[in-house]
Amino acid sequence: MGGIEIGTAETVVFWVLGPIALAGALGMVLARNAVHSALFLVNTMLALGVFYVVQEAPFLGAVQIIVYTGAIMILFLFVLMLVGRDSSDSVVETLRGQRVAATVLGIGFAGLVGAGIARATEGMVVTGLEGVQGGEGGAADGNIEAIAGLLFTRYLLAFEVTSALLITAAVGAMVLAHIEREPGSRLTQKERSRARFLTSDHPQTLPGPGVYARANSIAAPGRLPDGSPAEASYATGVEPQVVEELPPGDPAGDGRDPGAGRGHGPDAALGTTRGVTR
Amino acid sequence: MIEAPDLSLSALSPFLFVFGAALVGVLVESFAPRHVRQPTQVALALVGTVGGFACTLLLAGRGEVTAAGALAVDGAGLFLQATIAGLGALSVLLFAERALDPARSAFVASAAVPAGSPRDRELLTDERVQTEVYPLATFAVGGMMLFVAANDLLVMFIALEVLSLPLYLICGLSRRRRLLSQEAAVKYFLLGAFASAFFLYGLALVYGATGTVQLAGIRQSVTDDGTGTLLVLGLGLLVVGLMFKASVAPFHTWTPDVYQGAPTPVTAFMAACTKVAAFGAILRLLYVAFGTADWTWRPLVYGIAIVSMVVGAVLGLTQTDVKRMLAYSSIAHAGFLLTGVIGLDAGTGSGLAATLFYLLAYGLTTVGAFAVVTLVRDGDGEATALAQWAGLARRSPLTAAIMTFLLLALAGIPLTSGFTGKFAVFRAAIEVGAWPLAVVALVTSAVAGFFYLRLVVLMYFSEPAEDGPSVGVPGLPTTIVLAVTVAATLVLGVVPGSVLDLADGAARLVG
Amino acid sequence: MDTVPATGLLASSWLLIALPLAGAAVLLLGGRRTDRWGHLLAIGTVTAAFVLAVLSTVELAGLDERSVGVDLFTFISTGRLDVGAGLLVDPLSMTFALLITGVGALIHVYSVGYMAHDPGRRRFFAYLNLFVAAMLLLVLGDSFVALYVGWEGVGLASYLLIAFWYTRPAAATAAKKAFVMNRVGDVGLALAIFLMFTQLGTTSYEGVFGSVGLLAGGTVTGIGLLLLLGACGKSGQFPLQAWLPDAMEGPTPVSALIHAATMVTAGVYLIARSAPLFDAAPVAQTVVVVIGAVTIMIGAVAGCAYDDIKKVLAWSTVSQIGYMFLAVGLGPVGYAAGIAHLLTHGFFKAGLFLGAGSVMHGMGDRTDMRRFGGLATRMRTTFVTFGLGYLALIGFPFLSGYWTKDAIIEAAFDRGGTSGWVLGGVAVLGAGLTAFYMTRLVLLTFFGEPRWEDGVHPHESPAVMTLPMVVLAVGSVGAGFLLVEAFPLADWLAPVFGEPEEATAHAIPPLAVSVLVTVVVALGVLTAWLLVGRREVPTTAPARVSAPVRAARAGLYADAVNEAVFMRPGIRLVRALRVVDDKGVDGVVNGIGAGLGGSSARLGRAQTGFVRSYALGMLGGAVLVAGALLAVTAG
Repeated sequence: MGGIEIGTAETVVFWVLGPIALAGALGMVLARNAVHSALFLVNTMLALGVFYVVQEAPFLGAVQIIVYTGAIMILFLFVLMLVGRDSSDSVVETLRGQRVAATVLGIGFAGLVGAGIARATEGMVVTGLEGVQGGEGGAADGNIEAIAGLLFTRYLLAFEVTSALLITAAVGAMVLAHIEREPGSRLTQKERSRARFLTSDHPQTLPGPGVYARANSIAAPGRLPDGSPAEASYATGVEPQVVEELPPGDPAGDGRDPGAGRGHGPDAALGTTRGVTR
Repeated sequence: MIEAPDLSLSALSPFLFVFGAALVGVLVESFAPRHVRQPTQVALALVGTVGGFACTLLLAGRGEVTAAGALAVDGAGLFLQATIAGLGALSVLLFAERALDPARSAFVASAAVPAGSPRDRELLTDERVQTEVYPLATFAVGGMMLFVAANDLLVMFIALEVLSLPLYLICGLSRRRRLLSQEAAVKYFLLGAFASAFFLYGLALVYGATGTVQLAGIRQSVTDDGTGTLLVLGLGLLVVGLMFKASVAPFHTWTPDVYQGAPTPVTAFMAACTKVAAFGAILRLLYVAFGTADWTWRPLVYGIAIVSMVVGAVLGLTQTDVKRMLAYSSIAHAGFLLTGVIGLDAGTGSGLAATLFYLLAYGLTTVGAFAVVTLVRDGDGEATALAQWAGLARRSPLTAAIMTFLLLALAGIPLTSGFTGKFAVFRAAIEVGAWPLAVVALVTSAVAGFFYLRLVVLMYFSEPAEDGPSVGVPGLPTTIVLAVTVAATLVLGVVPGSVLDLADGAARLVG
Repeated sequence: MDTVPATGLLASSWLLIALPLAGAAVLLLGGRRTDRWGHLLAIGTVTAAFVLAVLSTVELAGLDERSVGVDLFTFISTGRLDVGAGLLVDPLSMTFALLITGVGALIHVYSVGYMAHDPGRRRFFAYLNLFVAAMLLLVLGDSFVALYVGWEGVGLASYLLIAFWYTRPAAATAAKKAFVMNRVGDVGLALAIFLMFTQLGTTSYEGVFGSVGLLAGGTVTGIGLLLLLGACGKSGQFPLQAWLPDAMEGPTPVSALIHAATMVTAGVYLIARSAPLFDAAPVAQTVVVVIGAVTIMIGAVAGCAYDDIKKVLAWSTVSQIGYMFLAVGLGPVGYAAGIAHLLTHGFFKAGLFLGAGSVMHGMGDRTDMRRFGGLATRMRTTFVTFGLGYLALIGFPFLSGYWTKDAIIEAAFDRGGTSGWVLGGVAVLGAGLTAFYMTRLVLLTFFGEPRWEDGVHPHESPAVMTLPMVVLAVGSVGAGFLLVEAFPLADWLAPVFGEPEEATAHAIPPLAVSVLVTVVVALGVLTAWLLVGRREVPTTAPARVSAPVRAARAGLYADAVNEAVFMRPGIRLVRALRVVDDKGVDGVVNGIGAGLGGSSARLGRAQTGFVRSYALGMLGGAVLVAGALLAVTAG
């Protein structure tokens, strides 16, 4: 089994996508915004998918893109959107020396493993995938058949036991997320409506938050005609926040200087809650 | 055309039993009315674990590799599987205890209800229970049994996840002190995932170096081609992943927090079964795959054993919580177990048998000790602060006596199983010339003995506090567990001969 | 001595030990729940053990090879270390088992009455059961280690029972004294066992006795002397005799069972069991004989001077065990005689103690004989049984003591030479003194004018107490004849000590010895009658007495000697050591402790509770692991 030549195109693809994949991975870890982080990960996954395809594993490449980038990452993003992208943790490090030590050890570990691998793979003969995927399906049948062959023979047990893992995961998700309601505790639409009219002096819908063109935060209260915040529009569970209303100098403003020097970016037009409450 | 792999159903029968019970449990959870779930689930989990136990006993004496080389059926594996299934059954009994908590279970009524919310307070005294813990625990038992029998790194990894995932979940299902419990679950999950990543990385490197994930293939490759940098790095990372599960220092940091936060029956389960499973995998990895290159890992394990013993014993000294103290004890015991691993020498050493025996003895004693912890309660649930145990012997002499006995066993006092186990592993270490390790182990045993005895002294020679905890009267399940564990600890200490012989006979790994 | 594996009933002889042990466990762990029926359980276990012992003995007697090994379990069997435990069922051990369970059962029954009103009755029976179990282990074990475990077990039970009324300072002190003096002996025994183990690598009787020949003479003598030290401690022999009279602070059934019939004879058992060792060490044997003779005299002399009924009996025990030591020290001719005397002594001395207990019971727990008198008519059963025990003890012809004590005296004379005459003379003199002090005791207690204090109304004890006394009295009368003439013990014990050799040449004809002893005994009785029986007895002991009487009253100054020779220098040594200990050792230990605590606290700070710091720790560990592995493979 002699080595094979690596084509120029493959080399080029590697050297272009390699840094991109790496940058994506680093960006995922370092990005403060969870959505950015997820997108960085998508980036890395896509690059990996391309690598697989280039290395004669088209099935793996397709699965990588469809399953990881397509399904899983989109689910991640959905969840992030539902939870709210602003619910980011404090990034102030309270442990003394943690960052320094983490950096040193991280680099040390990377250096150690990297150097080890580099030394071990130096001068290694390159073998094409076709050469090794001689599984029960045989190389001739191609990548998909080879994977299938392995999956149902050598890795049958692993494959089967994975089902236990998936069931556990599903049960776990149910346990942690599903609140069972007592039978009959959920009111019908009619009952709710009746209850509202009977007990409340405010049967109609409440005014919405003040998100129209001025702020994109649910925390921004709606305004009454005199400009004061409408208390009924406060969202439950969210502390109402004063919003930067307009670019500086706008005559319609309430005369308050809404943070000089920070209102010139595109975000300023939208108004953001950042910086005001802190 | 794909040739169907050979699958020995009889060899797989323990797994079929355990996983089958877990799957039926999930179905019961979906379709059975709530009031029948608890008894049904308990029965199912017991059928699964006891059935698995029985199957492994029936398989005793087999030595083969099945499922296309992915599963090893051998003496050591079966011994450990039986140990795990048996300890799992005992833990399920602890899970099923209904008499101690006023709300009749240690598990939360509804895990999804936010802790501290009005609904949560409402449910605190509700007799409803999140009965999913039983199938989840059964899954974990299945994963552990597979873990010790995996003859293939990939199966080993999946078994690792199968055993871990349910544990992460049930750690967070405590009825009382829910935030602490959930914090424990999250910590365990994050760190466990971190450790799994190391294992996976190691797996990849080993595969890269040898072109196979089967232990026998790796052994062949090691013998033929020697140990390259890649292989050694891979070995190191695999060891990191396994040591994490075995709570060996310096990969122990999760242990005290998780032991403390998890519901005590779950802690008992983790402390006993996970330890057995992790050491089973360590033994298999080191001896089947890397047995011919033991010069690479022997110094490493030597060092880790010392670190673990010292860290466990020394840190245990200043603990003020019984569960944390037992957690550090578990770390120290992991170190003692590693001396047995060192004492494993191809062909001649008695280390394998000693480690098997030690695991059995330690598992039984630990389950018993945590069972006692579930008994001592005050208004807020279990009273785990050491200070609250002062003068316990006055309140309940029997409980104090049982705890004292189990603590003495953990300390390794003669006529308890702890002594026999320690004696066996230390001797195995000395046999292969690792006497400095045995000396360190003896010294740390003495240091660790101090904190066990401190609790004993506290129970017997301190004035009980005015508003101290009361000792609950256990129901049948906990009584069974206490009786079995105490009896076993005594029997393994006084007449260990037959079990030592059994371990000796079982001390065989195929691959 | 070949041992065959046990079969049939003998294989379950472990039950002998397990039954009383289980009884003790139930009573101790069961707590107050067992208060009402606990004593019955205790009696049941011991009685069952007795029945089993009888059946086993019958089966053993039917075997050709009357030495049966019962492998209980192998504790640890690895490589060259083989720690196991087994039982050795042979005529000697079964004889003891019968004595222990038989007398033990009787005394259990007696205690039901004696302790009826004691709030700690359950605890008492638990300790008694514990004692019986430990004692059975002592005699049935097949190795010196098993014997040692039993030895310490009976020591513990003895300590607990002497201090049973631990609120009395005297009882607590007596228990402590017994404990400490026993420790001295135990150290000797432990050292002997260590010596055997280092020299022979085994401690089983079979192994040790089989290879005695391989040992140097000095080593054998050393082992023998160390064993003797252990035996002296347990059996209250010179120079460790002082604890036994004080041990009478315990309840009387305890004195009867432990400090008369069984535990204190453990030393005799030890020496008899180690016969092959002592036969190979003539020096040690001679020391045994000398100690026996000295103790006979000490016990007899001290017994004459005390007014406390139990203490007199205790000194009598010391003296009688001296006879047994003398016998077993004489070698093959004496072993069977010593054991026979041990058995008959077990009967009559236990009976005497129970009688004394019955008297105390009737007299409101008083023990001062000067305050007794005239009880013969008030307590008829007690008087008759006590009287029979008394006659047996002084060697009244054809009662138990006559047969067994005479055999020992005979054997002493048969030793020949000057030493034979000296030993024989001492033994005869001891017999005379025994007759004197026992007659004095009986006269003071049962005859003469009543000298009772006000408010004492002597009455006979209940049947549950008198019945055991009657049984023991029957034993006191008949046991000697049975053991010496009817079914010679020497033949029964032959598998252990070898066939009894008919002494061909007696120094003095046996008949002459008998006559001599009887005459001396009669003289003793007469003297006692002249000195005590005919005179008015003062209710307080006369203060102006001669020096010998003062010495005797002080137990021949054993306590004073102990204090001057051991205690004071000991205390000085301890003080000096304490200075070293406080300044040096404690400093180091505390330093280590503080160091460990400090490092624990410091290391503990790494346990921040933050996942990221834990993960960092793991990463650090992983770097170390990878680095170490690379270093090992590269290096």
